[in-house]
Order: sequence, then structure tokens, then C-alpha cells
Amino acid sequence: MDFLFASVRKDLSRWTQDRVALLTWLGIPLLIGTLITSLVDNGGTPTGVLLVADEDGTFFSGAVVGAFSQEQLGDLIIVEQVSGEEGELRINDGEASGFLTIPEGFQDAFLNETPVTLTLKTNPAQTILPGIIEDITEILLDAGFYAQRLIGPEIKSIMDASEDGTPSDAFIAGISVTISNKIETITNKLTPLALEVEIVEPPPSEPVPDYALLFLPGIALMAVLFAANSLAADYWVEREKGTLRRLVSAPNALMSFVTGKAVAALCVMVAVTVLVLLAGFSYHGVGWSKFLPSLLWVALGGVGLFAWFAAIQMLLPNQKGANLITTILIFPLMMVGGSFFPLAALPEWIGSVGRLTPNGFIVDRLSVELTATNAWSIDIGSWMTSIAITVSGLAVGALRLRTGFARR
Amino acid sequence: MLVVEHLVKQYGDFMAVDDVSFEAKTGAIFGLLGPNGAGKSTAINCISGLLAPTAGRITVSGHDVIKEGKAARRSLGIVPQELALYEDLPAVENLRYWGKAYGMRGKELEDRVATVLEHIGLVDRARDLPKEFSGGMKRRLNFGCGVVHEPKVLLLDEPTVGVDPQSRIKLFELVEAVRDEGACVLYTTHYMEEAERFCDSLAIIDRGKLIATGTVAELKAQLGARDALQLSGVFPADTTRNAIDALSSDMPDLEILSQADDSLLLTLSSASHHLPKIFAAISGAGGSVSETSLRSPNLETLFLLLTGSELRK
Repeated sequence: MDFLFASVRKDLSRWTQDRVALLTWLGIPLLIGTLITSLVDNGGTPTGVLLVADEDGTFFSGAVVGAFSQEQLGDLIIVEQVSGEEGELRINDGEASGFLTIPEGFQDAFLNETPVTLTLKTNPAQTILPGIIEDITEILLDAGFYAQRLIGPEIKSIMDASEDGTPSDAFIAGISVTISNKIETITNKLTPLALEVEIVEPPPSEPVPDYALLFLPGIALMAVLFAANSLAADYWVEREKGTLRRLVSAPNALMSFVTGKAVAALCVMVAVTVLVLLAGFSYHGVGWSKFLPSLLWVALGGVGLFAWFAAIQMLLPNQKGANLITTILIFPLMMVGGSFFPLAALPEWIGSVGRLTPNGFIVDRLSVELTATNAWSIDIGSWMTSIAITVSGLAVGALRLRTGFARR
Repeated sequence: MLVVEHLVKQYGDFMAVDDVSFEAKTGAIFGLLGPNGAGKSTAINCISGLLAPTAGRITVSGHDVIKEGKAARRSLGIVPQELALYEDLPAVENLRYWGKAYGMRGKELEDRVATVLEHIGLVDRARDLPKEFSGGMKRRLNFGCGVVHEPKVLLLDEPTVGVDPQSRIKLFELVEAVRDEGACVLYTTHYMEEAERFCDSLAIIDRGKLIATGTVAELKAQLGARDALQLSGVFPADTTRNAIDALSSDMPDLEILSQADDSLLLTLSSASHHLPKIFAAISGAGGSVSETSLRSPNLETLFLLLTGSELRK
């Protein structure tokens, strides 16, 4: 055990001296991840600012302003009341999505059925929000037109009575009955055929996955692939240094040496994965109960990739060729294995092939873990498969060490 | 003690080591001499367990390297020809690491590491990285890593190749110190003067075959008092040989070691006295001598004599 710990310490000490490599393993995936996520995910519900200059200051103009803040519309549009001058300045500076001016005399014109103009200036630099504000303004005006057609005289009576003082109870009751009768009459004509509508909502156990979140497993595996390939080259480095030759002449040292390298690789994989997953979990708001299984799954997979990259490199005739082959290998692996595009977004046959690649296998199960309701959703068979892949890779590497790789 | 019996290592049709036997004793330095490609490194690789012998038996401290590989390797230390260090680990960590590889631990390890650091003269640089060391310091550390576990048998594979004279002398001292501590040292080299200087006994190997073995004195006795006479010039094949053979009545120990159109290697005693007759014979045979090199009896001469015999076959 002493030599195992010594081997782990030795490799960690040597590997961590190469800070550029560490930055590369993390920097490239995080950069690509940030770019992809910002392209796919716009950061939640957009909100726009509507500037309103209410020059009328009446009940009706206030009703129009208030309409923009009702229910879900209020989540989308923030209404700010401003003066006409300030509104002009701010919309010209692009500080808002729209600037609505309600002119003085708006309420009188509405009640007297005389023309009135509402001015809406929109921000040309934005597309969606100004369009929404424009549509809502038109809908409000249409609603006002129909309300005026239907109960215009009653509204005018209420306004006149208000100007004369507090209306009597009898007046209010009469007006209410009149309005109610009109609405009831028109409702019978407007109510469409009775249809039963069943609203089917997705069950709470199947939340709609965040599309940008599907990139996280691929990004994590990209970091792990870079690290695995780089660390696997250390067997060739040790061979060229002559330390492998000295090692195979020592008793009982080979298995501890190989295991030590695997444990050191596991430590590196854990460090790399923790950083990537921390960023991903924080950004996407993934439940922290999934952090540990995700970390273990990716780190274990990383050691498996390290073991097999090392085994492949040791089968090749020289260091340069070994590095070249595995470096060439990781790019198609990343392409079909879900690092650049989520497996679910790939054409079906490519996705099927991708799931069969070692990194695709890890990405696929990690996606399951991240999007499932409960933590520890990766099945036991997948864990056993990953362990088997790792152990077999280490065994092939150890065998190659014994059968001549250590000699130079 | 290291015993090699009828060692054979074959690659297809190529016989890298062909029926080599020798015995290196405890508390002594045994030299394995031979030119590059003679089979020395192959023999070392078989002894250290890097290569499986095709045939033969090797025992290290009484343990068969095949049947009792772990026990045999536990007694072995290796100082390879090329550096085998972690240049990005401090010197002391290198020593600790290789000590642990041989099962050492705790106080025993720390004490031994301190002793080795002192022996190799790196106490002051123990915490420094070998990549900052001079070539000679790296060589000393390389040696220290091979002996940190106090091996009973130490294999030194051409340890002085490419080493400056000062470091070479230091290495000799280190090897002799290990010998004096009671270890058996197998020292391979193609520098005859090194072997002659401090090997207690020797084996000379060429083209995979053992061609001579014994102490330096015994080997020199095989040579007798014969000198090696190296001639360059023009030497017609048949007439030169006949002319030299005709001289055997005056020079009974005259022998042709090798002959080519432009070179001739002879051995004979008191060669300097016979040079005029030899030159005359060559001239009479239609040849000419442009350059002469005369070497007195030593291991180099013996090697020429022995390998020359092989060449003539």
C-alpha cells in the first residue's frame, strides 16, 4: 500500500506542475459550453420596459396604463410612467421597448365617440417585445371601442353623475341593472357552442427538460476526454525516462504502479468534473442531490477513458504516433458522443452510434441523471459496465507493460 | 551471488545470447565486457526479468529469476545505462519512491535515504529537482536510486557512457563502496580500461557468445606476452598470408587475427623487434605498409585476439 500511495503522490505532484494542461482541459470545454449555452438559452423570460406619458390623467387613461400590468402581461412588460419629454429622450436612447403617449382629452373623446390618437413609438433595435406592446395596445383599443358601442351611454351617465357629486344608490342600482341586462343579452349571442375542454398538463414527475441543460453532459465529457488523453501519454513519458524499466525490475511494484496511476487520474478527473459540474449545476439550477452521482459517474468514466487511451497508446510503436492517434480519435468521439451536440439532437442513427461510444455512453446516462426527477437514476447495469470498461482497460495496460512496453 | 547457467536468448533465427555461463561472487565486481551489440544488455535484461530467457537458468542470491521472480528481484538493484529518474520530483523523493518500490518504509527507509544522499554527495541538493542538476549529479542520483534498497546483487549497465571524467571517478568510488558493503556487482562495459581497473573477475562476450572468463590476471595469462600489431596499407590476399606464414619459423607465436585488402592485424611477442622482417615479407608479397600501430598486452589486446579468432572462423 505504501508504494501505491507513493505512486499516487508522485503522479499528482508531477501532473499538477503542468498548469497549462489543466487550464486547457477546463478552459476549452467551458468556453465552448458558454458559447453554446448562450446561443441556445437566452436566459429565461424576456422583459421589456414600456414608458407611458399619461397626459390625460383620467380614469380611462389610467385603465389603459393598468391593463399592461395585468396578470402574465405584468411579467413580460414593466410599465413606467414618465413625462412626454423624458419618454422621448429614453426611447431615443434605446432604454425601453416602447413609449406610449395618451393625449389629454382621451377620456372625453372616448365617451363622446370623437377621434383620438394614441402615439406608440417602438424601439427599432428590438423585435419581439415592441411587437407584443403594439398588439396589446391595438387589442385594448378594440376592446374600448366595443365597450363604448355596448355600454357607452351608461358609462357617460356614470361619469356625468360623478362630476355632479356622489351618485345616489338608486342611480347606481339602475345603471348596474341596465349594464347587466345588456351583457346578458349579448352573452347569449356571443357564447359559442358548449365544448368540454380537458386540459392535460404534463405530470409533475416529468418536467420539461431545459434544452441548454442537455449540453452539460457533453461539455463535462469534453473536459474529461482532454484530461484522459493527456494523462494517458504519461506511460510513454515514463518509458522514455527509463523509469518503467526500473519499475518492472522491482518486486510487486507493477500493479501498485498501474493502480496508482488510475487513482491519480481519478483525482484529476474529480477535480476537473467538480469545476465543470459546479458551473453547470449553478447555471441550470439542477438539484444538488444529483451532484454526487453525476460527479462519480463522470469521474469513473474519465478513468475508463484514461485506461483505454493508455492501453491504445502503449500498443503503438512510438510516442509521437501514440499521441497523434488518440488525439485524432477524440474529435470524432466528441462529435458523435454528444459533446458538440446533444445526443437527442443528432440524427437517430448517429445518436444510436454515439451512445455506443464510451463517451457517448457516459453522456447518455449523465443526461438521464440530470433530467430525471430523482437523484441516482443511472441504473446499476450502467455502473457495472463502466467499472468493467475501466478495469479491463487497466488490465490491458498492465499486460502491455509486462510484455515489453517497459523496455526501450 | 549471481549465477548464470547456459543462458540463451533467441529472436527468430538471431541468437542474441548463446549459451553464456558465468558466476559473479558476493563482495566482488564482475565485469561483463563486449562491444556494442555483443549481447551484454540482453543478458542484463534476462537477469533483471525484463526478458524471458529462451533457455538456461539464472539465480540471484539462490532464487531462480523465473520460478522465484519476486524473491530474485527483491535482491536485485539496477543502474541502467540511461538516466531513469523523475526529473520533476525532488532528489529525495526519487530515492524514497524507489525505496518504497522495493518494500522499504518508515525509519528504515528514511535512514537509508539519508545515507545514500550522503554517499552520492547530494545532501545539500536533496530538495531540488533533478532537472536543475548537472549531468554528473543526475548520474549520481541515478546510481543512488539503484542502490537505495541495499541490493545484494547490483547490475550496472554501461554506467559511464557519456559521463565526464570527474563523474566517472566518483561513480567508480560508489561502485567500489557498494562492493565493499558486501554486494555482488555485475558491471557491463565496453571500456576495457575500466574493467581492468576495478573488476575482480571478467567475462568477455561477443556476438552472443562467451569467449573468455576469469580474473584479469588469468585472462592476461591467456594472452601471454604477445603484442597486437595493427597495420594499414595494401595487402594482397593470398600472397600476404603465405608470406606471413613463412615467418613462423622465426616467430612461432605469430598469428594473423584479421586480414583485409587494406588492413592486417597480427599478434606476436616482442613485435617491435620483428618489424623489419614483417615489413620485408609484406613488401615481397607485393604489399605495402602505410601506418603501424603496436599495442602491448592488455585486455584490449586480449579482446582483439579473441574476437579476431572468432572472425577467422
